[in-house]
Order: sequence, then C-alpha cells, then structure tokens
Amino acid sequence: MQGQNQQQAYDRGITIFSPDGRLYQVEYAREAVKRGSASVGIRTPDGVVLAAERRTRSPLMERDSVEKLHKIDDHVAIASAGHVADARQLIDVARRQSQVNQLRYGEPVGVETLTKHVTDHIQQYTQTGGARPFGVALLVGGVENDGTPRLYETDPSGTPYEWKAVAIGGSREDIQRRLEDEYTDAMTLDEGVDLALQALSEATEDGFPAEGIAVSTIPTESGSVEPLATEDIGERLETLDLLAEDDAE
Amino acid sequence: MMDSDNPYEPELAPSDWGEHAGQDEENVNKTGTTTVGIATDDGVVIATDRRASLAGRFVSNKKVVKVEQIHPTAAMTLVGSVGGAQSFISSLRAEVNLYEARRDKDMSMEALSTLAGNFARGGPFFAINPILGGVDDEGSHVYSIDPAGGVMKDDYTVTGSGMQVAYGYLEQSWHEDIKTDEAREVAARAVISAAERDTGSGNGLVLCEVTADGVDITEYDEFPDPEEV
Repeated sequence: MQGQNQQQAYDRGITIFSPDGRLYQVEYAREAVKRGSASVGIRTPDGVVLAAERRTRSPLMERDSVEKLHKIDDHVAIASAGHVADARQLIDVARRQSQVNQLRYGEPVGVETLTKHVTDHIQQYTQTGGARPFGVALLVGGVENDGTPRLYETDPSGTPYEWKAVAIGGSREDIQRRLEDEYTDAMTLDEGVDLALQALSEATEDGFPAEGIAVSTIPTESGSVEPLATEDIGERLETLDLLAEDDAE
Repeated sequence: MMDSDNPYEPELAPSDWGEHAGQDEENVNKTGTTTVGIATDDGVVIATDRRASLAGRFVSNKKVVKVEQIHPTAAMTLVGSVGGAQSFISSLRAEVNLYEARRDKDMSMEALSTLAGNFARGGPFFAINPILGGVDDEGSHVYSIDPAGGVMKDDYTVTGSGMQVAYGYLEQSWHEDIKTDEAREVAARAVISAAERDTGSGNGLVLCEVTADGVDITEYDEFPDPEEV
C-alpha cells in the first residue's frame, strides 16, 4: 500500500525524479507517441522524404483534416506522431522561429538550429511545475542553405537526434527494422519514397488507400518542400502492391 | 534578459539598457571621422583617421583606433557617438560568438549585416554610422549602416564627417579591378585628404585589411606616405 502511494507521488509532478532517476511523466508522454499512427523520414543524397499515415476513425471524416505533415518554411517540413493538438503548438513554434531567423539574419534557418530551438522548447515542459510534457514526437526534414539534406527527430524529453532514416509512432520497432534492412547510403529520392511507403506498411496488414498516406519530399535540387499528389502516391502504392480500398468510398 | 525571439534587439542585454543614451549631447565624444571601405577580389581594405572630438570643435583624443575586429573575417568602424559605437561593436561581437557556439559555423556577411542593421534600428544604440567590411564564402563585402538601420552594400563606401572630401578622391581613383595593394594606398589617400579639410578628422591613420585568413590592423600615429602603407 505504502509502495503504491510512493509510486503515485513520483508520477504526479513532472519535475520530480523517482528514486531510480526516472521522470515518469516524460515516459508516459513517450507512450502517447506510441499510440499515434506512424511517420517515417528518410534522408538520401538527393533530399529528404517525410511520410505519414493518416488514419480516420469514420468514413465520414474528411481525410485532409488529419494533418500530420506540415510545411514549416520553404526548405523545412515536419511530420508528427502522437497528440496532434500538441504537435500543432510545436509546429507554430517552429514556423515562428523560421521567420525570426529570416528577420534577424536575413537567411533561412538551419535545420539543426531549428530542431534545437524546438527541442529546447519541449525540454522546458519537463522542468516547469504545473506543466505537462508534449505527447508528441516530430521528424524535422529539410535542406540547408548549402544544399545539405538533414533529418532530425525530437522526443518528449526534448532531446534532438539526427538520423539517416527513422520511424516514430505506432509499430516503430517493426518499421525501423525494415528501414535498417533496406536503407542504403546511395538511395535516390525516388527509392527513398518507395522505401518510406514499404516501411509504413509494416504497421498494417492490408496496405493503404492512396488518401491514407501523406508524403512530402525536400529535394536538394530545389531546396523546397514538395508534397506528392494523391494520384502519384496511389500509383506508387499499386506498383508496390500496397494499395487498399478506401473505406470512405 | 531581452526576448531572444526579438530579431531587432541583442540577445544579451538588459531591457532598460541605453535608456539614457543620447542625453547631455554636448559632452558626448564623437568620432567625427572619415572611414573608408573598399572591397577587392581578395578582401576588404578599411582606413580611418584617429581623432575623437567634442562636436568637432575640441580634439578630445588623438589616438583612437576606429576600426575593430567583430568576427573572424570582418571588421567594423566606429563612427558617430563613441559610446554608441563601442557598445554596438561589443554587442555584435557577442552575437557573433554566440552564433558560432550554437551553430558551429561563422555568420555569413549577409547574416552579420542584417543583424547590424536590425540593432541600429531597434536596439539601444544611438547616433552611429559605421562601415562593415568582411569576407565569406560569397566573396568580399562592404556595407555602410546608417543610424535608422539602413544597410547598403557597395564596392566602396565612406562614412563620417569627412565623407564628401574622401568621396571626391575615391570617385577619381577607384576602378573596377582594383587590387588590394592599390586599395590600401587609395583608402589612405582618401582619409588623408579628408583630414586636411574636415575638422572632425585627423591625427593619424589606421589601416585594416580583411581577408579569408583574418583581420589585420595597422596603426600610424602620423600620416604615413600613402605609397608605403
């Protein structure tokens, strides 16, 4: 009985460490990320791919209203997994900071700089009394000023990680394993898109409808965020034998 | 601490900093000054005089070094109020260091000139009109920055009370393919000419050369032979 009370005390406030040095609320926030549908990021020499599964809970829901890929600035996009509402707050932090950087220095913000600004913001919510950590993980993909493609992950603790290819959200382990098996350093951007779709399919048994996936690329050539058209995604899914009927139709 | 998200103010400064600057105008040291900047293919040459004065009527210092390094490959001149210019330069230097520490790369001249313009416009700095000269991946750059935050890039530029005299000389001497050695002589002659007629300028010369390797500043207590600088 007493042990149970103690356990409860340590997960009430996020600013309190447990005796073994854990922050339970941050760990619970990671669980919230796992409950979200997955997003995938792949970095190739030609640019970055971001792909996200868009799940609807009813055929009557408008699929476009499920936002998981967000353009931040011309050269940066973010994919999320976890609480969409929490993600939106961080998306706005990132969008503002991109413009602040442009105003302050007259230059587009660096992908690493932007990621670290967002993770510093996330971290504050693990150390402030009365606050709740962000129940969301993000993939920040973009192309630097000098044309270098970059891909970062943020987690609810506020730690930034840089990746070649990474998955966040539900079935992360399965998707990540697929990425680890099939990723190569010399992939083209096109191959990257296909791998992203194949990896996401690890989370489902029967494939996806074309509308069920959102894909954006940031090619080094243009340095701009380019969303893939639904028809294009449909054709790719068909070729990869991953196309499913849309429940909504 | 100021709001670090405000792009028009320095990140490291108290919010009431400089609130009383600009008061007691007649006791403020001014550089008066002639400062010249010339961009060449290899770098930037900056020349300044060495006089500080009270309203251009009394020489309050004869050994001012009015050009300072503010970045591994950039320098800025002190023009206008000495206090305003000095705090402007130390703030920019702090920002340059912070940027490098955080991003592991030096500010470009685009970034540095934009930031300098923002601070001149929105920060706690008064009555300054410096030249910024520097070298980055894109080449050599010279800017003049006005007190309202205007940033203008040019091949050569002059600021300070002796600017009309110096420009008169430069308009005849500057040419498109000017090399660094010639630019040193031309910049020195422009400042020396201005010092002859402008009461705010005089007392010697400082010559600064910025290249991709760094910033080199030479001080002369008296005007040197321009062919020898």
